Amino acid sequence: MADPIAPVIQALGGALGGGHGLALALSALAMLALRAAGLLVAGALRPDHPLVAWAAAVSQATLAAFVALAVTAPGGAAAAVPWPARLAGLAVGLLAFRATGGRLLPALLAGLAALAAVRAVL
Amino acid sequence: MPQPAPSHPARSGAAAALGAPAIAMGVSFLAFGAAVAAAGLGLAWALGASLLVYGMAGQLVLLQAGPSGAAAALGATAANARFLPMALAIAPWLGPSGARRWLALPFIAITPWAAAMRMLPGLPPAARLPWFLGFALVSWMVAGLATAAGFLAAPLLDAPLLAALLFANPLYFALLLAAELRLPASRRAILAGIAAAPLALLLPPAWGLLAAGLAGGTLAFLWGRRG
Repeated sequence: MADPIAPVIQALGGALGGGHGLALALSALAMLALRAAGLLVAGALRPDHPLVAWAAAVSQATLAAFVALAVTAPGGAAAAVPWPARLAGLAVGLLAFRATGGRLLPALLAGLAALAAVRAVL
Repeated sequence: MPQPAPSHPARSGAAAALGAPAIAMGVSFLAFGAAVAAAGLGLAWALGASLLVYGMAGQLVLLQAGPSGAAAALGATAANARFLPMALAIAPWLGPSGARRWLALPFIAITPWAAAMRMLPGLPPAARLPWFLGFALVSWMVAGLATAAGFLAAPLLDAPLLAALLFANPLYFALLLAAELRLPASRRAILAGIAAAPLALLLPPAWGLLAAGLAGGTLAFLWGRRG
């Protein structure tokens, strides 16, 4: 049996400039669906509902894993930064964050400066 | 402890977005715009990815996956699957469940989410949604403008500089997480997420992050329930 959606997707892809455009359009729809599903499920849940606590834990763990991977095993273009420079950027950023009493901007700039400095030396 | 209500919550949210969040987001979206130009795709595609997908992990999967249509979209969706638990976690803080909460829909992404989870519980309920929308609209516009700037400036940016710029985003997230470490529930989730990160190396890139987050987050949640 022919897939009834295939011609629609093909036409959509054509209109959007081929595979890249089609992938983008489908992804944009999927992102809306993910966000909407979260809002829908939350419905009238209170902030202290276990499901909300679980969702917050999964979000934070994902973010922590993202950072850990970006520092230890980055993919793509970021891999061109040598690991001592990545580590120095993270360490100096965190130390500056502590030293400034939790100010984001100076800590961010200090971390990036440390990364650039270590990289220039290597 | 609730803070006094800001007289213009939307404006104070917008102002909060203009410091470190704007720089961290700006440089990573700048790098993305330049990478799209280098891949030979158009400015419209770059802006569409930044503003509609609006989650860097998924955007990079889309860009790197090539013109494979549905498969690339599936990978990008897996890479950004965190939007679902993030929307679920933030929804109760966006005011009463009703039509207005849906205004936040397109803007649920790491930077506005993390800022809102820090700020909203301390604000009076009526100020929460306006604060979020103020912050989110500025972040979204910064993302779009930086993408366009990166796309247009691509010939001037060399590869080592772009690689360094890509590091601003994880560093910024690391600082946000460091600020959360004092809360026991957050501490458990962050440590479990780091411990689960190696899982991601065993799986295809698009699925690895999702698996590590699910495993680490669920472990941290169960650990908290036991304690």
